[in-house]
Amino acid sequence: MRPIFLLISFFLFVQTLFAQESFTVSGTIRSESTGESIIGATITSKKTDETVLSNEYGFYSLRLPKGNQTLTISYSGMKTFILQLEVTKNIQKDISLAIESKTLDEIVISAPLVGRTITGTQMGVERLSATDMKFIPQLFGEKDPLKAIQLLPGVKSASEGSSGIYVRGGAADQNLILLDEAVVYNASHLLGFFSTFNSDAVKDITVYKGGMPARYGGRLSSVIDIRMNDGNNQRLSVSGGLGLISSKLNIEGPIQKNKSSFLVSGRSTYVDLFLKLSKDSTVNRNKLGFYDLNAKMNFQLGQKDQLFLSGYFGSDHLNAGKDFGLSWGNSTATLRWNHIYNNRIFSNTSLIYSNYDYNIDINLGANNLNIFSQIRDWNLKQELQWNAGNNHSLNIGFNTIYHTIHPGDVTSSASSNFNDILFQQRYAWENAVFISDTWKASTRFSFTYGFRMSAFSILGPGDFYIIDNAGNITDTIRKKQGEIYKTYFNAEPRLATRFLLNSSTSIKASYARNTQNLHLISNSTTSRPTDRWVASTNNIKPEIADEFSIGFYKNFASRYEFTAETYYKKMKNQIDYRDGADINNPDAVESQLLYGDGRAYGIEFLLKKKAGKLNGWISYTLSKTEKKIIGINENQWYNARQDRTHEIAIVTAYQLPKNWTISANWIFHTGEAVSFPEGKYIINGQVYYYYTKRNGYRFPDYHRLDLGATKAFKARGRYTSELAFSLYNAYGRENAYTINFRDNKDDPSKTEAVQTALFKFIPSISYNFKF
Amino acid sequence: MMSLLKFYDNLVRIFIAIIVLSTFASCEKVIDINLNKANSKYVIEGNISNFEGDCKVKVTQTINFSDPSVFIGVTNAIVSISEDQKDPVKLIQTSPGVYVSDIIANSSHVYTLLVNVDGQEFTSTSKVPVRASFDSLYIIDFSSFGSNRKFANVVFKDPEGVGNAYKFVQYKNKIENPNLFLLNDLYSDGRSINTFLAFFDNSDNQRLNTGDTVMVEMQGIDPSVYKFFFSLSQASRGSGDNVAPGNPVSNISGGAIGYFNAYVKETKTVIVP
Repeated sequence: MRPIFLLISFFLFVQTLFAQESFTVSGTIRSESTGESIIGATITSKKTDETVLSNEYGFYSLRLPKGNQTLTISYSGMKTFILQLEVTKNIQKDISLAIESKTLDEIVISAPLVGRTITGTQMGVERLSATDMKFIPQLFGEKDPLKAIQLLPGVKSASEGSSGIYVRGGAADQNLILLDEAVVYNASHLLGFFSTFNSDAVKDITVYKGGMPARYGGRLSSVIDIRMNDGNNQRLSVSGGLGLISSKLNIEGPIQKNKSSFLVSGRSTYVDLFLKLSKDSTVNRNKLGFYDLNAKMNFQLGQKDQLFLSGYFGSDHLNAGKDFGLSWGNSTATLRWNHIYNNRIFSNTSLIYSNYDYNIDINLGANNLNIFSQIRDWNLKQELQWNAGNNHSLNIGFNTIYHTIHPGDVTSSASSNFNDILFQQRYAWENAVFISDTWKASTRFSFTYGFRMSAFSILGPGDFYIIDNAGNITDTIRKKQGEIYKTYFNAEPRLATRFLLNSSTSIKASYARNTQNLHLISNSTTSRPTDRWVASTNNIKPEIADEFSIGFYKNFASRYEFTAETYYKKMKNQIDYRDGADINNPDAVESQLLYGDGRAYGIEFLLKKKAGKLNGWISYTLSKTEKKIIGINENQWYNARQDRTHEIAIVTAYQLPKNWTISANWIFHTGEAVSFPEGKYIINGQVYYYYTKRNGYRFPDYHRLDLGATKAFKARGRYTSELAFSLYNAYGRENAYTINFRDNKDDPSKTEAVQTALFKFIPSISYNFKF
Repeated sequence: MMSLLKFYDNLVRIFIAIIVLSTFASCEKVIDINLNKANSKYVIEGNISNFEGDCKVKVTQTINFSDPSVFIGVTNAIVSISEDQKDPVKLIQTSPGVYVSDIIANSSHVYTLLVNVDGQEFTSTSKVPVRASFDSLYIIDFSSFGSNRKFANVVFKDPEGVGNAYKFVQYKNKIENPNLFLLNDLYSDGRSINTFLAFFDNSDNQRLNTGDTVMVEMQGIDPSVYKFFFSLSQASRGSGDNVAPGNPVSNISGGAIGYFNAYVKETKTVIVP
């Protein structure tokens, strides 16, 4: 802590030197109609040409020289607010923005990706608000935030219709997915076809693809920071939607006007109604579905304090008659306290709970089996944002998390033939301190530099294994309750710089190190709820990634934005499976794993039209992701599963007369890397397949067109409504979901490849309302 | 109890697949994939037990994936097996690629297989474990997927000390069930083990019905043989859904695929009630 202390003292000293020349203007930016705080609104001073963004709680703080000042406050979809001020002392000024009224010739349908600013040092960042996603046609008509993100450059969908995400060559488990700061360990419903995020309850999504700020840590490839709405503190408001396979309802309103509010948002599916239509009894007895609930309350306690309590609870179920039941779900809770120490220091303290578990019931006559697995966190996070003056703003804090992992107990009824199998629970304590400073060195140059120090302690009780190169356990180390077996320390520097070429063009560069101590073990190429999280052990070392990136940013013709970013990422202690791995044994899963290096590099282009009747974006990514692990692929570099050379997304929306909006997306990507057999052989009369290279082949190229149309009905009083149609995979491309090999039915001496495709021409209709 | 865990995992996998594929209008089609031709490798299956007539070594080769599944025996191999440090016994070729002898294997002895083909040498050693007592065999009922199925259930006593491994071979009316039934004692060392021989089968061929004669052969095997068969069952059967399909971990050195299994066996028979 000493260097931090010195740094703070230094800035306090510097600040006093310049203090007499300028004052601070600070406050909170809110929406006039709902009282919701606005994240990422830009506050620009006309005289100093300095821009700051409102933070996650709408708070902003800006240093201004003495005298008359003009501030411009803007946010997409809101009327720009001009504030005239005479600055003679520190000023506390809360601002409410009104929703932009439409003019006939200039309708802003949506302004996606508002977060990319030319002036900030942050790169590799994408922002989406709920309205940005509104017209993107999606599978089953669901406005899924995680799937909207997949249309951005450098972000890829894990598989057909899946909410799983690969960012810049990272694996699906290398994304830190946060909902009101709580980690969501499995962000998917219905086996990945829906995400756990209900767009009605979501205020803002920020995706960091690289160069993460020091306050985030714990995952290698990205941070997906999702913030829930706080709840309307002006009036009671109800909104909802009726869809083909799911419906939702959202109620929010003031508890005490202007002071406190609540929000409850629920969603449920009835997809299994379709199963009932089937005449096949093995199908129509099945059930599947999910529901989820978001709830939030916030209380303004005087001028300086605000309390937030938010929670998420979701559950999925999958049943095959009475024989089999699988249920899984996340629950999270976050208690937050904002405190404004003075007009320059903003503090947030969060106490966070996260839980993911799954439960399997197998009912086989006399044998009733139950399998239970869980990961649970208690997390305390403290963060200070300090506008230190003299062009410095600091971010300082710490984070401490206690993890409990229950890998999967198998228990059975007393009359069963099976023995219970109880695996060891695992405990870990994860700590981090962080500090970073953004320094506006000159009008052209700006720097953010900082670091994060992380410590991951593996706690007893438990047995830890010494494993030889062949994967055999050679020794066992036993630790008692409360004993620390091992602590991994990692210093993670985070650096970023921006060079402004002119007022609409900038170049940025960044370097960031990230480490990861929780790893997802999956024995399937398709994501499953039974994939398991494991913590680092003596064998599984923390994964480390160093990412370098350079970007070019240009705004032109007032409504176009062009971005090019290139990155190179070096990864250590990457995990892959031994040939023929068996990962069903969670106690010593390490004996089935191998560790090595990874590298990912690529270039991403994005051209976007932000306003006008026709708007949208085109993104293109060229990339490569490889691994090199001793014991796999003859120790040579091989393509990671998520390696896809080309990736194109075109997203458009067009405003027609009479309140119709039509939209379309087209997606193309190279098929993912996969291992196919090149030969076959016979053992005991059975034919088996002979493999040569790991991931040496590819799935066929993937492409798809989705269409959407939305009709907004005339408002009757406060009641507004719309009807949305969509068609997923409009030209019926059969994209490979899996490829299997089997003997030909008519001629068993022939072996053939069989491709399974899932979604073709999936239409949907939904009705959304609000009053 | 590895196989039981695997069985649970398979259950989950199959249920999920059924539900996904039946719910979301899926379509299946045979596609052409242009697969490279792999260099051919020798495949060796070596067996010797405490019963005369089990000593048999088969030598074949891998073929290209697109070729018809016809595997021709390698006829020019020189095959021998030796017990401990004794002189090797040469096996005689009785049909193309099949080499046999009337020697038997005894518990706690180490056997070495030597195969020489065109100057390429493949060797393997396998130790016969101590025989565990095969206590009983009976049939259990098991309902799943809305139908009732019968499975063979075995009870046996695992000797003290981790590292024992077992392979069961099930015959229905003298026809061998090709499924691999494997067990080890990682979680049940020294205990009486009571488990059923679980398998999935889409066809009715292997289902047990009242009146069938079921014979189960229990083999005590070397852990390296267990590893071979386990990895074979796990990864080599080409499911596109498997994260790391690969080749089995052979216990033969020299670059051949296959195993050498020196085992101790005991059989029991039951009529399905």
